[in-house]
Amino acid sequence: MENNRRKFLKIVSHSLGGVLAAGIAAPLVGLGIHPWLKETVYGTEDFINLGKLEDFPIGIPKKMNVTSSKMDAWNVFEGLVMGSVWVLRKEDNSLSVFSVNCPHLGCGINWGEEEKQFLCPCHEGIFDINGKVVSGPAPRSLYSYETKIENDNVLVNYKKLI
Amino acid sequence: MASKFGEWIEDRTGLSKLLKTALDEPVHGGAKWSYVFGSGLVFLFILQAVTGILMASYYSPSSTAAWGSVYYLQHKTSFGWFVRGLHHYGSSAMMILALVHMFQVFIFGAYKKPRELNWISGVILLLCLAGFGLTGYLLPWDQKGYWATQVATNIMGTIPVIGKYIKILHQGGADYGNFTITRFYTLHVFLLPLSLVFFLFIHIALFRKHGVTPYWKMREDVLRDRVDPFWPDQILKDVVFALGMYAALAGVIFWTGGAELQAPADPASNYLARPEWYFLFLFELLKYCQGKYLIVGTVIIPGIALAFLFVLPFIDRDASRYPSKRIPFFGAVFSGLTGAVVLTVLAMHHDSRDIHIIHQREEAEKQAARAVKLAEKGIPPTGGLSIFLHDPVALGEKIFKESCIGCHKVGGEGGDNGPDFTNFGSREWVAELLKNPRDQRYFKETGLMPPIKLPDESLLDMAEFLLSQSAGLVNQNIERVERGKGLVLKGTCVACHPMGNKDMKKMAPNLTDYLSETWLKEFLRNPADPRFYGTRNKMPAFDRLSDSQLDALIQYLFSLSKDRTLVSEKQEKRKEEYVFGLTAPRTSIHFKDRS
Ligand code: FES
Repeated sequence: MENNRRKFLKIVSHSLGGVLAAGIAAPLVGLGIHPWLKETVYGTEDFINLGKLEDFPIGIPKKMNVTSSKMDAWNVFEGLVMGSVWVLRKEDNSLSVFSVNCPHLGCGINWGEEEKQFLCPCHEGIFDINGKVVSGPAPRSLYSYETKIENDNVLVNYKKLI
Repeated sequence: MASKFGEWIEDRTGLSKLLKTALDEPVHGGAKWSYVFGSGLVFLFILQAVTGILMASYYSPSSTAAWGSVYYLQHKTSFGWFVRGLHHYGSSAMMILALVHMFQVFIFGAYKKPRELNWISGVILLLCLAGFGLTGYLLPWDQKGYWATQVATNIMGTIPVIGKYIKILHQGGADYGNFTITRFYTLHVFLLPLSLVFFLFIHIALFRKHGVTPYWKMREDVLRDRVDPFWPDQILKDVVFALGMYAALAGVIFWTGGAELQAPADPASNYLARPEWYFLFLFELLKYCQGKYLIVGTVIIPGIALAFLFVLPFIDRDASRYPSKRIPFFGAVFSGLTGAVVLTVLAMHHDSRDIHIIHQREEAEKQAARAVKLAEKGIPPTGGLSIFLHDPVALGEKIFKESCIGCHKVGGEGGDNGPDFTNFGSREWVAELLKNPRDQRYFKETGLMPPIKLPDESLLDMAEFLLSQSAGLVNQNIERVERGKGLVLKGTCVACHPMGNKDMKKMAPNLTDYLSETWLKEFLRNPADPRFYGTRNKMPAFDRLSDSQLDALIQYLFSLSKDRTLVSEKQEKRKEEYVFGLTAPRTSIHFKDRS
């Protein structure tokens, strides 16, 4: 009899304790995973102006800083350098804009003026002028960004890698 | 498999044996509801710890970032407001419970030999709680916390000889700054929790050593013979109590909308500071200790009270726990308590009748709402306060005073040539205009528009519809909009006013998107456009104003009535995209246009 009472008390304590724990955990977990639910750091513009088309020489990649406004949680930073890109203007005035980060492990790549190739210093990755892998460990060609020309301005979508 | 793993763990750690000894504590005299307060405090402390740790991962302790990070937590995260509310109201709950617990210990005489150290560790724990409250108040770096904490640090400064140095140490300098936050933060999240855990450990260890102190009338034989195990008999009561407290906390949070966050701290404002409720009596006490007697209120009286608490178990040495045998001590404690309660009530009473305080509370609420709205666009790195420097409404007001006030009145000030803009863009303003366009407040005798002879309700319906075409109308009533739409489109309005088709030229201003930002902007740029007043126009064009100046001016106009929020159309659009961003986390968010 007494034993049954204790057993019942234990079950009730366990279940009420469970309810309490779940009630507390729900909002805490909800808050904890906030960075999964919402973008917390992001550029505020899609297409960022890199300058006039005529400033880019044909056939020679040029490294450009990407300057934009950035939201960082509660802060907004105006005119912040977000990073840089390699811009290549081709004969037909079409553009390729490459990420400076190597698709292997992310080192910054350089343009080898003599070799006429992109060179990665870390593991000797080599890419041709169109970003294709020539040799080295990189699993894919250079990442690039969507780009467009508007009123002779070169615009690049710094949000999306392609 | 599971049990094997369990056995292995048990063999290596002895965990369940440890748990058993911890839980099999006998409760002499039986489990009682009156014992739940201590464990309730432990529960609340754990709740404070977990909510605090989580909040710390969103908080940034610096004078430029603190407000912004708390704003973000409160307004941008899911459940942030709730977790912060738990922490805020949980601290008050702890204070209440601690006082109840202490009071019970006093009445039961549980501080007497051999439990003197238990009592003393308890008093230290109470001081820790006060410290938590004091240091936590400042951390959001909002008006309330900033100014209330000034009072506290100035009290530190009144301590003879060493006061000045203690104050500098706490402030991290001669004045408030970055180091004030880092220091208060360090106290709040490291030093105080560590001290609290340390003394709590002692407190509980001593409690386990000496056992519960039952009601003083309980007979010895009952105490000996009736023994319940701690688990589950007492624990069930504790859990029920904890659950009840949590439910009450959640209720308070939903009811109040969570903890308040006022506008960013502004050292240049003259804010009337009020501390958290449990410090109000001290605050009130200071009112009666002025000039050279200040130290009586700041140091001497609190010092005596504290000293009394510390030495209580040593001066009340009689072994009997019957209240009738301890009348002087009851007298002392109750008069102290009565004093504190009276002072608290007085402080609240004064504040509730003080017109300055009431006015300031309203002002503070408005400021806070404004700050939150402005922060939406991102807070400059120069800090929370600087969002006000970029406030378009302030800029708009300036432009209005330079360019418009010659012809338009606002709040009884200004010229008479154009319509009065008091309450501009509100439902009443539009309805009154429809009712009597030739009124002194509107187009005067030169107005060509005929008055609309409809009941006031119908005019309000029409106003509701017209205003619904722009963003930011608060509490929009869809039924009214529909009715108003019918009245406007089927009525005589469209005989003169084009509607729905921007290119149509008629004799009166186009009402498509009436009073929206774009409408107002184009109107201000060229009121003589055929879309607006055409050849009958008398208003000067403001095409010399830049885009952002016009934006600011329009924001100011919108701020003139309570019916409109200052959400710009762009922001409105943005918001939708932001909500979309919630469901698909990595969708790009277009924050393209920013004024
Ligand atoms: S990171 Fe470029 S090759 Fe390894």
